[in-house]
Amino acid sequence: MDTFGLLMEGFAIALSWDNLLYALIGVSVGMLVGILPGLGPSAGTALLIPLTFGMDPTSAIVMLAAIFYGSMYGGTITTVLVNVPGEAASVITGLDGYPMAQQGRAGVALGISAIGSFIGGVVAIIGVVLVAPMMVKFALSFGPPEFFALILFGLTMVVGLAGKSVIRGMIAVLIGLLLAMYGMAPSSGVVRYSFGITHLIDGFNFVTIAMGLFGLSEILIGMEQQLKNPIKPPAVKGMFPSRKEWKPSAASIGRGTVLGFFMGLIPGTSSVVPALMSYSMEKRLAKDPSRFGKGAIEGVAGPETANNSFTGGALIPLFLLGIPSSATMAVLMGAFILHGLQPGPTLFIQHSDFVWAVLASMFIGNAMLLFMNLPMAGMWAKIASVPFKLLFPIIIAVSIVGTYSISNSLWDVGGLLFFGLVGYLFKKADIPVAPIALTFILGVMMEEALLQTLAIYKGSFLPIFTRPLAGTLMAMSVIALSLSIYAGFKNKKDNLADSEA
Amino acid sequence: MNKRWIMGLLLMFIVGLLAACAEEAAPAEAEAEEETAAFPEEPINVIVAYDAGGGTDTTARTLQPFLEEELGVPVNVVNQPGGSGWVGWTNIANAEPDGQTIGYLNSPNVASGLVNPTLEREVDLSDFETLANHVADPGAIAIRTDDERFSNFEELVEYAKENELTTTATGVAGDDHLVTLKLNDRLGTKFRAVQFEGTAESRAAFLGGHVDVLVTSVGEAYSMDEGGQLDVVAVTAEERSPFLPDTPTVGELGFDPIIQQSTRGLVAPVGIDPEKLEVLKAALENAIQNEEHQTKMTEIGTQVQYADAEEYRQLLEQDLEDVEGLKELLGW
Repeated sequence: MDTFGLLMEGFAIALSWDNLLYALIGVSVGMLVGILPGLGPSAGTALLIPLTFGMDPTSAIVMLAAIFYGSMYGGTITTVLVNVPGEAASVITGLDGYPMAQQGRAGVALGISAIGSFIGGVVAIIGVVLVAPMMVKFALSFGPPEFFALILFGLTMVVGLAGKSVIRGMIAVLIGLLLAMYGMAPSSGVVRYSFGITHLIDGFNFVTIAMGLFGLSEILIGMEQQLKNPIKPPAVKGMFPSRKEWKPSAASIGRGTVLGFFMGLIPGTSSVVPALMSYSMEKRLAKDPSRFGKGAIEGVAGPETANNSFTGGALIPLFLLGIPSSATMAVLMGAFILHGLQPGPTLFIQHSDFVWAVLASMFIGNAMLLFMNLPMAGMWAKIASVPFKLLFPIIIAVSIVGTYSISNSLWDVGGLLFFGLVGYLFKKADIPVAPIALTFILGVMMEEALLQTLAIYKGSFLPIFTRPLAGTLMAMSVIALSLSIYAGFKNKKDNLADSEA
Repeated sequence: MNKRWIMGLLLMFIVGLLAACAEEAAPAEAEAEEETAAFPEEPINVIVAYDAGGGTDTTARTLQPFLEEELGVPVNVVNQPGGSGWVGWTNIANAEPDGQTIGYLNSPNVASGLVNPTLEREVDLSDFETLANHVADPGAIAIRTDDERFSNFEELVEYAKENELTTTATGVAGDDHLVTLKLNDRLGTKFRAVQFEGTAESRAAFLGGHVDVLVTSVGEAYSMDEGGQLDVVAVTAEERSPFLPDTPTVGELGFDPIIQQSTRGLVAPVGIDPEKLEVLKAALENAIQNEEHQTKMTEIGTQVQYADAEEYRQLLEQDLEDVEGLKELLGW
């Protein structure tokens, strides 16, 4: 009751005209930032912070937070329509979202993403309201051994994305891990594989890898196809999922919400982990897993929801511990401090009106995004039906500008072209590119967690198996692997039986 | 018809790219020919070797309006992240020495990069002309409030002489790591540093009890100390920090004084006309010393510590010497 009363007071502040306006500005700017690849949500938020100096702190944070979650929606649009993921979690959305767009179902993919994101976001905020203080202990119990086990579990999920051939999947995973090794080693400071190139001291940039492997390579493939055998862009067919898709989508959204929220509590987790886990969970639970990768609606609904409820869950470590869970959250936290609000256990007590107003504004902002996106999904989807001859050069130009903006240098543009070409060749060779991008991210995190574990426990691996949480996660990895090996054998048998028949 | 369309678009695009490239080069040449009648006449670029929204970026953007006021021309903050800072720093050193491009150096990060034998860099400290130091953030050593083994710095040191304890660090030979190494070197403690990606992660591991001691900077720790989330037991500076007036320095407690801070100062490429250098130095001094600026910096938890060009150079050289001295402990 007490919490409810506080939340209602929060709504009273958030629903004032100026705060509504700031939320609207925030979500609109966020959408734009998300749609344009390259300039990510963290840079977008950072550049707008100076504009908020003169504003009341609550309005400022309402607007900046709105930019953040607005950009999540925007990022989905680019990913689904042209397969240019701007951030890690979008890679997963693209797996089935882009095939859906190719089938003329971009509107459906965007629609279900908007609905899923809304539900995930709102439920996660309710979760924050209800259980925030109780969750702090769980969040902090994740030490380096637990992280290692969690990421390893994530990696076993990547196996599920390998596609038809296990060997090709392995090649992709190993390339991803190799790319993750470039740059300074976490515990010794030794620079690996830099070949004297200053830009490589820190390794590769994820955005160039993702935009090259997915976006540019897709365009190259598309151009080749257009030259050989021109096809018309898909006509846009409807906005709403078909009747028989509603039920599985609803279930995916429900599962994604819970998964994302709990992952969000753990500081230091990338949003790609819940998205990836949600995707592979949906694939495992589906009656016909072979639809995945070809435009299965659950493959879009689940991860998109998980991604957004992750953001909501991540507010708990931010508000209560002052620990941001991502670069964007860190920028947001910087804005808090700039406006005299120190995140930490005292924030809820000292500035409770502010906290509840921001939480309430998130309900409102998410609702705004839903109402902006559902009707607009159809409009956006029309982009997918723009003739390729016009669409391709525009995407290339936007990608180049986007990668240039990462570090204001042509180095990243070169990286984009290089990985675009690599992605093209791999697609020709049927080597899946998603595992490359995902293991690149997870590999860096896994190495760090392993080295931290070894440093803390004087070179012993044992804690990874003996600590209860870590041990459980390791056991889950073993089970997941055994299941996929078993499934692989079974499939092979079925296939053999088919061919014999 | 359609083909022409595409060709046109492509052409426009290429021309645009070329123009963008040319734009960067052209003004520099023009500037070199003209003599320094009234410097500066054109915008000054300040290179920040880290992402927008990071600590150095915030520092630069807070100074920007005050520097603009002093110089009378626009000042652009240009983010060139990558290569652990070396992309931006190399670009500062290699910039046209016409005074239009200056930038931030971060120490001891730059010092550790210079010492790291595996880091193949193109520039050296002698490639930079120091202008002024802007901010300094001393190291802070913090323990958990409920730790039963020790409750102040003396007890911590006593305990750590007998037992191995883990400390946090954010980057090999970074400021946090150097604090741990210096403690072991001078006080005979047995601290073992665990490397984390950043302060957010190291703080989480510390609060969760996975690591014993949090080594961070005053700017990152002071508000959590006020909030009672942790207890800063000592700072590694010559004087107490205005943000933590009740926390003693290591030297004050009767130990070998340990000085370790991270600094952000401004440098230019070598070879700039001395008159232009004087203009830049004077403008920076006035902007940094500006009271309104200092109040703003205090609000965001950053301690302004002006040092003139000569003092700043000595500061950088001292950092370099410190890291050189710890080479063995670093395994380099």
